[in-house]
Amino acid sequence: MHDHHDDDLTRRTFLKALGASVALAGLDGCTRIPAEKILTFVVQPTEFTPGIPVHYATSMMLDGYATGLVVEANDGRPTKIEGNPDHPASLGAAGILEQASLLQLYDPDRAKFVRSGTSASTWSDFTHAMAPATLRQRVGARGAGLALLLEPTSSPLVGDTLSSLQRLYPDMRVHYYAPLSPAAASAAFTEAAVIPQYDVHAADVILSVGADFLASGPFHLRYAREFADRRRAPLAGMNRLYVAETGFTVTGATADHRLRCRPTEIEPFLESILATLATPSPSPSASASSSEGWTVALASDLRAHSGASLVIAGDHLSPRAHALVASINMELGNTGHTVWYVQSPLLGAGQPGMTLPPLVAAMRSGAVDTLVCIGGNPSYMTPRAVGFSEVMRRVPNSVYVGLHENETARDARWFVPAAHYLESWGDARAYDGTYSIVQPLVQPLHNGKSAVEVLLAMTGVPAGDSLAMLRSTAARIGVASDDASWSAALRQGFVAGTASSRIAATPRPDLLARAVPPTNRAAGSVDVVFTPGACVHDGSFANNGWLQELPDPVTKLTWDNAALISPGTARRLGLDTGDPLLLRHASETLTIPALIVPGHPNDVVTLHFGYGRTGAERVAEDVGTNVYRFWPAMDEFVINGVSAERAAGVAHTDFAITQTHWTMDGRDQARSDTLGNYRASQRNEKTLQRTPLTIYDPQRRLESPVQWAMTIDLGTCIGCSACVVACQSENNIPVVGRDDVAKSREMHWLRIDRYLEGNEDNPQVITQPMLCQHCENAPCEYVCPVGATVHSSDGLNEMVYNRCVGTRFCSNNCPYKVRRFNWFDYTDEISETERMARNPDVTVRGRGVMEKCTFCVQRIREAEINAGTAGRMFRGTDVTTACQQSCPTNAITFGSLTEPDSVVMRRREESRLYDVLAELGTEPRVRYLARIRNPNPDLESG
Amino acid sequence: MVALFPRWTNTAARAMLIAAACTFVGIPVALMAWVRTPNATRQYQPVDQPIAFDHRIHVTGQRIDCTYCHFTVERSASAGIPPTTTCVPCHDQRWVASSMFEPVRQSIQTRQPIKWNRVHTLPDFVYFNHAIHVAKGVGCETCHGRVDQMASVYQSAPLTMSWCVSCHRDPAPNLRPTSAITTMGWTAPASRQQLGQKLMLDYRVRQMTTCTTCHR
Repeated sequence: MHDHHDDDLTRRTFLKALGASVALAGLDGCTRIPAEKILTFVVQPTEFTPGIPVHYATSMMLDGYATGLVVEANDGRPTKIEGNPDHPASLGAAGILEQASLLQLYDPDRAKFVRSGTSASTWSDFTHAMAPATLRQRVGARGAGLALLLEPTSSPLVGDTLSSLQRLYPDMRVHYYAPLSPAAASAAFTEAAVIPQYDVHAADVILSVGADFLASGPFHLRYAREFADRRRAPLAGMNRLYVAETGFTVTGATADHRLRCRPTEIEPFLESILATLATPSPSPSASASSSEGWTVALASDLRAHSGASLVIAGDHLSPRAHALVASINMELGNTGHTVWYVQSPLLGAGQPGMTLPPLVAAMRSGAVDTLVCIGGNPSYMTPRAVGFSEVMRRVPNSVYVGLHENETARDARWFVPAAHYLESWGDARAYDGTYSIVQPLVQPLHNGKSAVEVLLAMTGVPAGDSLAMLRSTAARIGVASDDASWSAALRQGFVAGTASSRIAATPRPDLLARAVPPTNRAAGSVDVVFTPGACVHDGSFANNGWLQELPDPVTKLTWDNAALISPGTARRLGLDTGDPLLLRHASETLTIPALIVPGHPNDVVTLHFGYGRTGAERVAEDVGTNVYRFWPAMDEFVINGVSAERAAGVAHTDFAITQTHWTMDGRDQARSDTLGNYRASQRNEKTLQRTPLTIYDPQRRLESPVQWAMTIDLGTCIGCSACVVACQSENNIPVVGRDDVAKSREMHWLRIDRYLEGNEDNPQVITQPMLCQHCENAPCEYVCPVGATVHSSDGLNEMVYNRCVGTRFCSNNCPYKVRRFNWFDYTDEISETERMARNPDVTVRGRGVMEKCTFCVQRIREAEINAGTAGRMFRGTDVTTACQQSCPTNAITFGSLTEPDSVVMRRREESRLYDVLAELGTEPRVRYLARIRNPNPDLESG
Repeated sequence: MVALFPRWTNTAARAMLIAAACTFVGIPVALMAWVRTPNATRQYQPVDQPIAFDHRIHVTGQRIDCTYCHFTVERSASAGIPPTTTCVPCHDQRWVASSMFEPVRQSIQTRQPIKWNRVHTLPDFVYFNHAIHVAKGVGCETCHGRVDQMASVYQSAPLTMSWCVSCHRDPAPNLRPTSAITTMGWTAPASRQQLGQKLMLDYRVRQMTTCTTCHR
């Protein structure tokens, strides 16, 4: 990303630079304040006051389902995305993708012009070419030669627009495609298009089979909250989580018991649970450490909580695994309590004719004259065997509507820039069916068009009013039909009470009866599992610097994807992290650097989608390896019998990993204990807290009536990294690029440390958000020669950028290593549009300045001012930090030490409270609650 | 032994040492002094505007309250420069044909903003909020001076950090009742300090000297 630090420095240039920098040293400050203009409104808009941000409710559709959001706009530009507290899919939190979608809006690589062939064109040319009068001549009167390819969508508005287009072209084909769409889940039932819904809060015992339900999927924010609510008070009915999975996920890292499974072992594992449940009383297992012992202990635990247990199947397991999971839930009496089923709100769900393969067949046979592809990126996101790119090039008249001139755009004749969801009216349904409104905050920055506008143009309405269409769609489905209820719905962002009703679903008997096909794995071969990249999803977020630089929650890898392998497999193949691995299957080969992950099953390779992009997106360029090329077939996320070896003649890759050590090396900065020990320790108070000897005054008197403090509950932190993105967005934190991350120059004020305990095959993971601890005896403050870091009267460790001269003494003296230094002018290099994403309340830092977490001081001061102007008493509960706001599990609480009734202080009464590195006597204002695990006593001995 | 250097070089060496000391101490001191002068802070320098808007006529003559035009001062960080339409209610008759009024007519017709020249500028790392100062009893006049007597508005305060901090350390002498916030030429009672102390209690005014009060 930055090419300003090439290391080919000669002695002569070094001396020149040295001389110049000495000569110019003092001149940096010799600038006069430039003369500025003030531009006023001609007519003041009533809803807007300069200097005061406005918040709008909207929704973002991801994989077809809506998540409700609240977006802050400063001077008309969206600057921060947060969750909508009332929306069922959000409950106030927003995931990494939702929050980072702000940067997609301002992406300087977004396409700006309509293109026809290789020449520039206009929207009116396009609408003319696509209007019924012109198009009918191409595709026939009934539209037999017309095909649409959309991303999965639950939008009733898109559905209505499609219907009106279908009235014009009755023979038109409509298809939906996304590489990660969980088709297997629906295929497991006799009823079509069934999706499961869970009540995680009601479950005492949860088994997740390959499902990352805490950190991915359309309802993960809600499930994470429900899961955490049962772990907040360990002594009051804590739940227990078992996870059987292949690659390490956030959910697996949170589990009380994790069983690493080869993908071929999943179905036998589920069968044996079902069989054990059917046996009247299984004998207590002799060897609890063995896999069978695990199954028996798990099954008896599940049975002991019949009706209050829950088994969740991962999206990309086989239909048979889903059917088995549904049967287990039925056997346990969970169906109707912790799990129930609804009709999928996705358009065309459960109709095999509307998937991608029939379209490709039609395209190949020449039956398609005009293909309109809206969103997605099928040329990149399909297996090579499908040959989508080639057949699309053969379609005489093809249209691609997208944010970028990406791989698919290059195969299309027409290109139309798409509108971002913050630029266009729309709607969508949440995973439970709740009708949610997509409200724009800005006019399209680059004249982008929404899917609805393109479809309307095809019906002959070139300047379609999508808001009027949206209102009539809402009226048709019977919500918000009059102006008052529409305004109310718009304000709320969704219409309550529109969730889908429960339906009965039966797992397909033929699937249950079918025996597992024998696995024909040649000795020495491996199984390959395909999963979405934790940060870039299926690749549609690959051009997003925040997400590329966000460390993977488990591997802490940034700006890359890798072949994840176990330490055992690495030894067998003679590989180290970064060494090239050559995978060969049928006629396909893939060379990708390996990354060793403890806890990964042996002889399995996990590959992440979403990297190796070759479109016009500059951030995503040359990042990682495209594993879609190695993907054998759609909806098949596992391949068996892949030969794996060290690739010859390929260089070692130096990964940009933010945390290369996996263990705490015998120290205890991130603490955990079992529920049994915790219960026993309740008698002796404050077991985890040590009081260090100090030569300082016992407690410095700070005069402010509010004293800031944060409590972080490691018991509910799942390491999902939503807080990291929230912090980056709120505090104008720059993206430094791969090379600088490799030199540990990443700028994140808040990082998530991940530590492993136990043996390398079956480790326990603990995640710990680490940020400035705002020490009362702050080591950084003693060593700053210019007083640039000082203490405030309300207990903040302040960083004054305009005083900082960049000695870095403070960072050197910080025991928590949370200070970040601007080695280069990272922020001046970004584009005009990206500047619009900046928070105007936070100073943008220049080169040579130290920075770190401020406890969101801009929010504190704003709340203080608002209380002052309103004449209210200012309280600690008036402030929510960005990380706290975004946390799906409410693990982070913030408030004042002087308010004993506040949540932050009530949590501090628990005996699992401790300070990190307390022995240093820094008296941090951030304190942690140790993670309490709830292992099954039958398995604990093993 | 023959002297290698003539005797006068001793004097020359001493003179050079003194000159060097003057250069290395004097230049920084001079620069530091210079940035505090009105010349550097742009104090008292009237700023020409695209319209010959005269605050004397509007404030003293017509007795228009500051908040009529600067209407966000009680709510927002920015006091607000009025939108063009603010001029219209009064000026739909008076002076409407004057050439002086041409930029306003232009702005209304073309829907383009009037480009005012900024008078009070703070660096980007300073976050000043009008609303809280007004709520705590700091009058317009306290920082902006006698705007009612200015033909072209100029910056009457130095706007240096030491000037800000002097009031943040000891706000009492600069407070006035909120009823007199926009009054120009407000005469303080004899017991200025006493009133200030009382207002500090009434408005819950604290000394705000912590860095993040202004630098965030």
